[in-house]
Amino acid sequence: MSEIKGKVLKHSEQTRTMHWVHLICFIILGLTGIAFYFDIAGIVNLFGGEAAASDVHHWTGVIFTLAPLVYVLFNFERFAKFIDTITTFTKDDLGWLKTMGGYIPFIKAEHIPPQDKYNAGQKMLGLLVIAGCILMIVTGFPMWLLKHSMPPVLVWLTWKIHFWTAVILILAVLGHFFLAAIHPKSRVEFASMMIDGYVDAEYTSHHNAKWFAELKKAE
Amino acid sequence: MNTVATKEIINIDEKKCKSCDHCTSVCPTGAIQGRIGVKHYIDHKKCVNCGQCLINCPFGAITDISMVEKVKKALADPQKFVVVQTAPAVRVALGEEFGLEPGTNVKGKMFASLRKLGFDKVYDTEFTADLTIMEEGTELIHRIFAHAGVPGYEKEGPLPQFTSCCPAWIKYAEDKYPKILPHLSSAKSPQQMFGAVAKTYAAEKLGINPADMFVVSVMPCTAKKFECQREEMIASGFQDVDAVITTRELAQMIKEAGIDFRSLSNEEQADRLIGTSTGAATIFGVTGGVMEAALRTAYEILSGQSLGVVEFKAVRGRKPVREATVNIPVKELGKTVPLNVCIVTGLSHVDGVVEDVLAGRSKYHFIEVMNCPGGCINGGGQPIRRDTY
Repeated sequence: MSEIKGKVLKHSEQTRTMHWVHLICFIILGLTGIAFYFDIAGIVNLFGGEAAASDVHHWTGVIFTLAPLVYVLFNFERFAKFIDTITTFTKDDLGWLKTMGGYIPFIKAEHIPPQDKYNAGQKMLGLLVIAGCILMIVTGFPMWLLKHSMPPVLVWLTWKIHFWTAVILILAVLGHFFLAAIHPKSRVEFASMMIDGYVDAEYTSHHNAKWFAELKKAE
Repeated sequence: MNTVATKEIINIDEKKCKSCDHCTSVCPTGAIQGRIGVKHYIDHKKCVNCGQCLINCPFGAITDISMVEKVKKALADPQKFVVVQTAPAVRVALGEEFGLEPGTNVKGKMFASLRKLGFDKVYDTEFTADLTIMEEGTELIHRIFAHAGVPGYEKEGPLPQFTSCCPAWIKYAEDKYPKILPHLSSAKSPQQMFGAVAKTYAAEKLGINPADMFVVSVMPCTAKKFECQREEMIASGFQDVDAVITTRELAQMIKEAGIDFRSLSNEEQADRLIGTSTGAATIFGVTGGVMEAALRTAYEILSGQSLGVVEFKAVRGRKPVREATVNIPVKELGKTVPLNVCIVTGLSHVDGVVEDVLAGRSKYHFIEVMNCPGGCINGGGQPIRRDTY
């Protein structure tokens, strides 16, 4: 029985709110986008038909763009720390990636190196999501607002980039959902982002040992 | 692709349409219905069949009807004498389909490949482009005389005179501005003049029964497929032009036949009977070309003088609406008359010009209208360069 008890605050209220807003936007954008691309009338009709679904997609895209901007504006230090963490890769991160943190059944993981607030996989997901969202935004707005002034080859290019980035993001988010909400080794983290922000200290002490040590030191 | 002859020339493939809405920005008549995220369709009553949406669709979701099978059937029929004409803008674009630089003149290779495809006579539409300009130029002179009160020309049409060789412009004028029709030149387009001449004069000279003659046009233009089906285009007693194929479709036929286009000689000539032409006919395919050709004719006839420099550079350029004044010494009136001309390229720019004419505000004597930006060279039947659009 571990001696570590209690909980640590991993995600602030504003972070959780931004995550919720972005998640809802992502689901709406994903559903309507898939419906447009593959011409699925059932989904389109859920949003009130082609024209309404189109409007929903565009204006949800606006919220999808503004939500993180507002978050960064009011939480710049927190965001800077987040960026610092996910862009810092040490030999411990490489060690985690070699064993995939013990999440993949057929990869042996006798020793998993200590991790920061986010493990190497989460860091890569974070970078992927940020890059993906930027690509979706910088292609999405021209598709909507510059559709008449762009040459056809640019229209084609923006649509292709938008589509394939969406495919990658949807797959990444599904993987993220599986690990955060379903996988028995890590689903305890689900509540920390989706509900109260807290995660078990005991769990943190071995899943995010470096961060936990920082917290202890600060204490 | 629809292979049945129909007047609904341009169609959107709903399964391929991504609803990106780009096409609505290039349609000059607002015939495409839809908005971003909503499947688009064409209102054929408004569509002028120009194919600009087709060549600009980022996803290749817009097609034109094909008459290629009809042409192949005629070529395979030993009873048919199959004659082909080629428009001026085709020869400088066809090479693109075979990896040559845009603008490369492959006239000789084109004639050689048409002979290899089995056409009995290979002609050049430039011959009838010259006929068109003689007709149109003479008509303009008569209208000017009528306007000046010269006796004997009272029954001529009003000024300004509009050109009449662009089938998209003709349909647009008929649909939207029927009152402007008396201002349009009564001359047929070079394509239709060729069909009529082929099935009358050429048939007689060649000893062919016009009923057995099948006339094919190779055009840079999808609207020509509509024009050849017009009920009134039967001057020869038969449908004057039986089928129209585009530059793209000719390239496809050449490829399917396994002809090594690039290795063909570029020295071959059109057959001579109705194949002779002038440089004025060659410039028909570019905006301002018909105007320049008409001015050359009008100047020589009105002044009785031979032109030293034949170019009228003032009418050239890429602006959608251009105007120029050419001073012509009119022998019959004994004075120099300033001839005000206007060139419109792109139907979306023509409304103001037409409305001025209908309101009596127009200062022009002669107005050239071409639907496609830049002229026939940028027609809806030309090769699609998705890498450079």
